[in-house]
Amino acid sequence: MSRIGVFICHCGENISRTVDVERVALEVGKMPGVAFSTDYKYMCSDPGQNLLKKAIQEQKLTHVVVAACSPRMHEKTFRKAVEAAGLNPYLCEMANIREHCSWVHENKEEATAKAIEIVGMMVERVKKNRSLPAITVPVTKRALIIGGGIAGIQAALDIADCGHEVILVEREPSIGGHMAQLSETFPTLDCSQCIMTPKMVDVANHPKIKLYTHSEIELVEGYIGNFQVTIKKKARSVDEDKCTGCGVCMTKCPQKKIPNKFDQNIGMRTAIYVPFPQAVPNTPVIDRENCTMFKTGKCGVCQKVCGPGAVDFEQQDQLIVEAVGAIVVATGFDLYTINEKPKGSAIKGYGEFGHGKIPDVIDGMTFERLASASGPTGGKILRPSDGKEPKQIVFIQCIGSRAREKGISYCSKVCCMYTAKHTMLYHHKVHDGQAYVFFMDARTPGKSYDEFWRRSIEEEEAVYIRGMVSRLYQKGDKIVVMGSDIAVGVQVEIEADMVVLATAVMPQKGADTLAQKLGISYDKYHFYSEAHAKLRPVECATAGIYLAGACQGPKDIPETVSQASAAAAKVMTLFSKDQLEREPIVARVREAGCVGCFACKKVCAYGAVEEKEIRDRQGNLIKVVAYVNPGVCGGCGTCQATCPSKSVELDGYTDEQIVAMIEAL
Amino acid sequence: MIISQETMDVDFVRKVETLSGTSVRRCFQCGKCSAGCPMATFMEHPPNRVVRLLQLGQWQRILAGRSIWYCASCETCTTRCPNKVDLTSIMDALRKLSWDAEGASKESYVQLANKLFLQNIRTYGRQYEMRLAAVFNVKSGQFLKDLMLGPKLLAKGKLKLFHSKNKNLSEIEKIFTRIEEMRAKGEAL
Repeated sequence: MSRIGVFICHCGENISRTVDVERVALEVGKMPGVAFSTDYKYMCSDPGQNLLKKAIQEQKLTHVVVAACSPRMHEKTFRKAVEAAGLNPYLCEMANIREHCSWVHENKEEATAKAIEIVGMMVERVKKNRSLPAITVPVTKRALIIGGGIAGIQAALDIADCGHEVILVEREPSIGGHMAQLSETFPTLDCSQCIMTPKMVDVANHPKIKLYTHSEIELVEGYIGNFQVTIKKKARSVDEDKCTGCGVCMTKCPQKKIPNKFDQNIGMRTAIYVPFPQAVPNTPVIDRENCTMFKTGKCGVCQKVCGPGAVDFEQQDQLIVEAVGAIVVATGFDLYTINEKPKGSAIKGYGEFGHGKIPDVIDGMTFERLASASGPTGGKILRPSDGKEPKQIVFIQCIGSRAREKGISYCSKVCCMYTAKHTMLYHHKVHDGQAYVFFMDARTPGKSYDEFWRRSIEEEEAVYIRGMVSRLYQKGDKIVVMGSDIAVGVQVEIEADMVVLATAVMPQKGADTLAQKLGISYDKYHFYSEAHAKLRPVECATAGIYLAGACQGPKDIPETVSQASAAAAKVMTLFSKDQLEREPIVARVREAGCVGCFACKKVCAYGAVEEKEIRDRQGNLIKVVAYVNPGVCGGCGTCQATCPSKSVELDGYTDEQIVAMIEAL
Repeated sequence: MIISQETMDVDFVRKVETLSGTSVRRCFQCGKCSAGCPMATFMEHPPNRVVRLLQLGQWQRILAGRSIWYCASCETCTTRCPNKVDLTSIMDALRKLSWDAEGASKESYVQLANKLFLQNIRTYGRQYEMRLAAVFNVKSGQFLKDLMLGPKLLAKGKLKLFHSKNKNLSEIEKIFTRIEEMRAKGEAL
């Protein structure tokens, strides 16, 4: 015979305002099986929990129902308290009389009656709860980081410095990401490469970090603590072990006019190349689409000049399987382009700005490459069309951003600041030039950020014009910018030599495909979703997968680095134990009833259902039944609802319990 | 005059929104409409400010001015608006609502022209341009306006000295009466 204790919470006034809690305690006390019932102002407080623990011991309670808020709020709290009093935590259930009752009703009489019924149902359910032992799964203490930009690098270094092995996978031939492309960084104007490259070298030299560049994630299997990841290492055509990075191959390559993506296609590279001189690893890669050898079968100059004989035209893509316990996704961002988009795309280009066909209308990243000392112009601001120095330059903010008609309604967050930075870089390099900025709002929250923006206007003499630009068109060798100043209420027309567009920050191409491989969720723009916008901002809803940087939303460098370190801290917390304890509310298969139809396997979102052979003592196969791997099961109950022979049961939610709850009504 | 709660007439703005099928709240004043407007230099309130004044319930200020009459309905603003504010329809709605609204534009005589035009239709069943021009000039106090165009138009047969009446005047009168009844009941503008 069960001795159930019922504890009814006032939640200050949240519940007691509309529910007569004393009457609920009185009525519930009369229910069969209930040995003790009481009410208290704050059940979750220390005295409230002590009251519960004391009652369990003194009244020799076998089950507990706490009638209070949603189980999402305090189920863990009360289960811990119950465990401390010596009961199995899964013999405690919560009856939600706040969100499901007092908050949504006004009539006290009716709300009280409903509260009694809610508690009554939970009393019937808890009677049939079993003691559940905690499930433990082993933890592989190796982390996978996807993306080798500043986010991935920071997370990798933090985890590796803590002594755990890290596998860093980067799609491009070098790590560094977008930050390596930047000229200077706001708000201090320190050189991006100067602060970035030491970190890149640290990654390459770290004994705990295994680096896969020019590689992509092919397949992800498993679950928290036990992932198996298949990495596709694309053929580099250069043996990384033999190559010394001398660079002779690049100087001799006859293909010299290939637009370099790292330089936003304004600089040129050879077919065998490193994206930029400070690349890590400093091993070239052959671009097979543009290599004469691969196109015609004749050339091989690089192979002939390579001293160590590292060039290998026969190299194939490799698939490598790695076991890891946690994954940090740091795939970063891409930039909006004003070019014409394919039909049906939610993202539209800017026809009014010439769809990207005016050569001297460039984006912010291209300006970074022009301003960068290691860029294609050696740090001189020269316009792409004729190589002249622009004396009148126009910057336009919010291109793509905050323009729902163009497909994006969010603010890209970094453009106000980097445009201010661009005006400064321009002024430092072209002393007799004038910069104009068309903007809608200047959004500069952040340490020393607003001061930086003001400096651009007050000291660097940029002319800020509040108002958007309606049209850009070529007139001779000038670009006419048709804007307006909304404060004065007049149109503004500027004939510029060059126009720089602050294009929106968007998720990396293929972000959705990667998310599907990982089983994580993403929003309509394909930014990855965090588990909780405020309280779990670096974790995915999928256990064991963490987020860092702009793949989650537009972010600047300080924020990205903070989030990367936070994600690393989460990974290290996970790795602090050898065994991972997880909630034992999982599905179980009643093997006697199972007919092996595997309908459950088809519907399982977690891939937890396996096939299990049942054999007799002689080893003859009797039948194949379903088996739920408790380490993988998410406890959603879909299999239980699907099973045609009613052979799957979810602990705490068995058919028997649900029927008992309905009968209690 | 300062803007105060007393002068913020949101009801009128709701009418504009219903009639134009677009929300003025969507506008965040980027100014792109004004930047591309071919008529903005002739307006005392450029297009973005028309929307801003509506957001503040200041429709009298708009109707007292000439902005809505200078709008050429070229739809550049609507096409380029990042927030899908259909400014062309808002301008249309304002012109329609200005018919009954107090403080209608004195700047442009558009209302006068519209009224005389309809009066002629009602009286003759078709347009009588000579009378329209004459009465407009007298009522607007610009007696000699475009006078020298008269002989040229007469010579080309574009302007007739005497009017010709439509045979079905009673049918036309029915249309006017029906619209008037509908307007009285609030079923039409």
